[in-house]
Amino acid sequence: MKNRVSFRVAFLLVLVALAVQGCLGIGGSSNQGNFKPENTGNGQKISVNQATQAVFKGKIYFTQGRNLLVLDGSRTVKQLTHGEDVRDPAVSPDGKWIAFDVRYGDYANLVYMSVNGGPQHVIISGNGHYWTNSGGFPQDDFYWFGQPAWSDNSHLAFLSDFQKNFDWAQLGGDFASAPFVDMQIFSISITHTNLTGAEGKADSQIVAYADYGDGGDRDPMYRPGHPSQIIYTHYTYDKTGTNQVIQLYLEDANAIAQHPTMYSPGVEGSGLDPAVALTPPNVECIEPAFSPNGNWIAYIRRNPSTNSMGLYVMPVPSGDLTSNPNSPTTQKAALASYPESSLIMQGQFIGQPVWSPDGKQIAFLSYNNNEFDIWLANVSLNAKTNQYAMQGSPIQLTQGGVDADSRPFWTP
Amino acid sequence: MQEQPVVKGPVTGPAVNPAAAQAFATRSQAITPSASPGNGNSYHRTGGLLSSMGQPSPAQTIMPVGVIAPTQSQPLLAPNMPGGAAAGAMPVMGTMAPVSNPRRVDPFGLPVVSPQTDVWSQAWPDTAQAAVGGYGAYAGQVGYAPPAYQPPPGLQKSAGNAKKRKKRRVPIWARVILVLVLIILLAGGAGAYYYETNFAAPVANITGQVVPRMKGDVNPNQNSTSGGGDILSGGRINILLLGSDTDQKFNGDFLAQTDIVVTIDPQTKYVGMLSIPRDTWLNAAGGYGMMKLDQAYGRGGVGLSRATIYQDFGIPINYYGWVGLDGFIKVVNTVNGVDIDAFHPITDDNYPDDRAGSKNQYAYMRLYIAPGPQHMNGDTALEYVRSRHADLVGDFGRSQRQQQLLSALKLKLNNPSIVSELPQLANDLNGYVKTDMQLTDVFKLMNFARTINQSQIKQVVLDGQYSHTVGSYPTAYGPQDIVVLNCAAVIPVIAQMFGLGDQARCDTGISSTGKPTSTAVATVTSPASTAAPAFAGPVSSDSVWQVAQQMTEVNGLSYSDGSSSLMGMRSLLDLLCMTVFESPIGMQA
Repeated sequence: MKNRVSFRVAFLLVLVALAVQGCLGIGGSSNQGNFKPENTGNGQKISVNQATQAVFKGKIYFTQGRNLLVLDGSRTVKQLTHGEDVRDPAVSPDGKWIAFDVRYGDYANLVYMSVNGGPQHVIISGNGHYWTNSGGFPQDDFYWFGQPAWSDNSHLAFLSDFQKNFDWAQLGGDFASAPFVDMQIFSISITHTNLTGAEGKADSQIVAYADYGDGGDRDPMYRPGHPSQIIYTHYTYDKTGTNQVIQLYLEDANAIAQHPTMYSPGVEGSGLDPAVALTPPNVECIEPAFSPNGNWIAYIRRNPSTNSMGLYVMPVPSGDLTSNPNSPTTQKAALASYPESSLIMQGQFIGQPVWSPDGKQIAFLSYNNNEFDIWLANVSLNAKTNQYAMQGSPIQLTQGGVDADSRPFWTP
Repeated sequence: MQEQPVVKGPVTGPAVNPAAAQAFATRSQAITPSASPGNGNSYHRTGGLLSSMGQPSPAQTIMPVGVIAPTQSQPLLAPNMPGGAAAGAMPVMGTMAPVSNPRRVDPFGLPVVSPQTDVWSQAWPDTAQAAVGGYGAYAGQVGYAPPAYQPPPGLQKSAGNAKKRKKRRVPIWARVILVLVLIILLAGGAGAYYYETNFAAPVANITGQVVPRMKGDVNPNQNSTSGGGDILSGGRINILLLGSDTDQKFNGDFLAQTDIVVTIDPQTKYVGMLSIPRDTWLNAAGGYGMMKLDQAYGRGGVGLSRATIYQDFGIPINYYGWVGLDGFIKVVNTVNGVDIDAFHPITDDNYPDDRAGSKNQYAYMRLYIAPGPQHMNGDTALEYVRSRHADLVGDFGRSQRQQQLLSALKLKLNNPSIVSELPQLANDLNGYVKTDMQLTDVFKLMNFARTINQSQIKQVVLDGQYSHTVGSYPTAYGPQDIVVLNCAAVIPVIAQMFGLGDQARCDTGISSTGKPTSTAVATVTSPASTAAPAFAGPVSSDSVWQVAQQMTEVNGLSYSDGSSSLMGMRSLLDLLCMTVFESPIGMQA
């Protein structure tokens, strides 16, 4: 009798324990992999998956807590910057330099340094000041810089709001009193350093315009094997001014410079466009990344119906798409490959895809367990369907959270 | 039968029963009579086998494992029991003869021993018949005669009594209920303690913060049922929402960046929100003269702001709510930030740099928030929802961002792990939210607001359509940009929104040409009468039990979406968000 009572009590205690565990959320999913904590010294923790499934070649540069870190194929982490607000690292084609932007309150600096760390070379400083503007908001000559992308070993494309006190002011109205700061794409040589904002603007070449009012352009990247072509995400509103349109665009990086009177920034559809859309206007596609051979594009697509995001791979449309981007024929051809997009994986939040140098893996950021981490997807091209597909399951590479708004970079 | 083990010492009964001796050998513990020999009604467990194989002393008598020894205050052996009041003899459990007295049961099903009760046989009834009286003995302990307990005839058990006793045992279900009642009582006590230690002080410092009214400021609550009744049971109520950057600004010389008057008609379910620009040039009440609306708050706090709005617009204010923007940041940080897919890049060169630590409350700062999925801390989240210059579609885009952030915040608040953060959330709001409403009033209002179709809420901002900006206007604080209202356009809006009819006013000291008159542009002077203190403290006695009662009432209600009220914190978060966002969207937190 007593044994039976004890058994019942024990059984009830087990049930209570399970209920409490469930209510408190204790336990949960187990991590697939063998995560080894790495001491980065930045006050945050990061662990790297040591399992054989998480093997990769080369180095992945990323930021965590606004510090620049590099993770190599031996799956050890090294911190390259300390105590700065660093974002968007990009390594030069020769592998010597790494460019990034550093935030300072109201402005940013565009800098580069050795891939092994060391002193930073400021290309342009965005520092400035406010001044009063009678009858309107104060104006300033602070500048943002962001998302550098190398075209060769001495030239960078980057985002900036250089035009805010010039181009938008010409439009008059509220834009003059409270200017939009939509980011456009510029390029500059790194031969000159320590430029002021005004000097940097004078030395820079406009690459892609923005339509004001929706934040401008993002995610510039030169096409491997085609250094004159650049892809980016373009944020704008439709002609009614009420519906947001987010598309991937391909452009001749020199089109505006070579035809300065042909193109102008401003309102969507108000003039000729130096770029051609690769994705349709009714689907929001962001964060494109060329494959190493320049023939494929990995990108992120929002799916409002399922409140999720997907990582897709599509082929770069064939033919000359940049010489005559305003031709209806070109525009139709540019959209031809979009239906061939293949879904690699999807989730609540997925972003910042980047190809491995050998084109066999795609790293991306995914949101799991309340944090963004780097994941790997092994991909291969199916010769029959001519579509990329994921082999196996995605593999979590890091644990501890990384900066999701900062684009990683993968080098050999 | 083998050799009989014998216990040396006072032997009061026959030799030990072998079965009892075996049982004793397997679960032996020593019992120490705490009293002197002869006082056998008090024993303490000493544990372990007898330390000696010799004659047990009175301090080494034995008791089986698992039973708490009786104490002096709760005697288990009656003084008249053999071996009780007699010598140090101790009966072995399970070896006693049955007793005739039925066992009484306490409310929790535990045996209650009367002086006539044989506790040992009750504790081990299955062995009671096996061993009759006397001490147990160790197996193989030869030569010891265990002292035996021989109950008096009056205590002899019988088979009939045993059946009777079994019938009177408390059923299992009753015991379960009793235990559950005990658990509930304990949980209730723990809950009350939890309220008192974690929520009572913050809530008492947030709600019921009555500010005396200035002379001439009508109190519309005087003739209503408020002050004890349901806040929604009466007629229209108007609530003044004030937003500042930091908790320090509630009592000091400070500004209010946000000035919103919410009007609610519970009967028709009409809700209107009037946002008055902080730079609006007004005739402050109490003889303070012309100044900007945010400066009125700086001069006289809630009292002067409330009186000025009544004097200049004719809008009687029933209640106020004050919010410090840093409270929103703290709340988001307490839930470890929010994770959001930003719709598009947020770029703003004229975001107000009005938070704590700002050197100039009229200064601006720049924003550049990247698009796409990302983690936002409290600062970035506040910037994301407050920026006004990042969308071509203006406040529509801003509203979308606010909705998005509220969804993310709601996800965090619905996470079970947030329970452990509730005290911190209460502390986050403490000092950053103040209102003269009671917690239950806030809860009812916010619950009521959720039943309102957001698209049908009338929202008016007295911006360019109703006003114009005059730059570098000479004020007592130096040249400043001021907003001058177009009263011809404002009065009809106020009359309609607040149901004022011809009582609507627009007394801004502005001439018919739309420019400030010379007399109206009075510098800030000393008031004609002493302004009411900005803050008079809570009207109630801050009784923690009153607060606990409020919170119990609040948590007894439920949101329309079935979500938890989080000890009332959700309602206060609603108030916080509504003021921070300057939008009814904030009521959906």
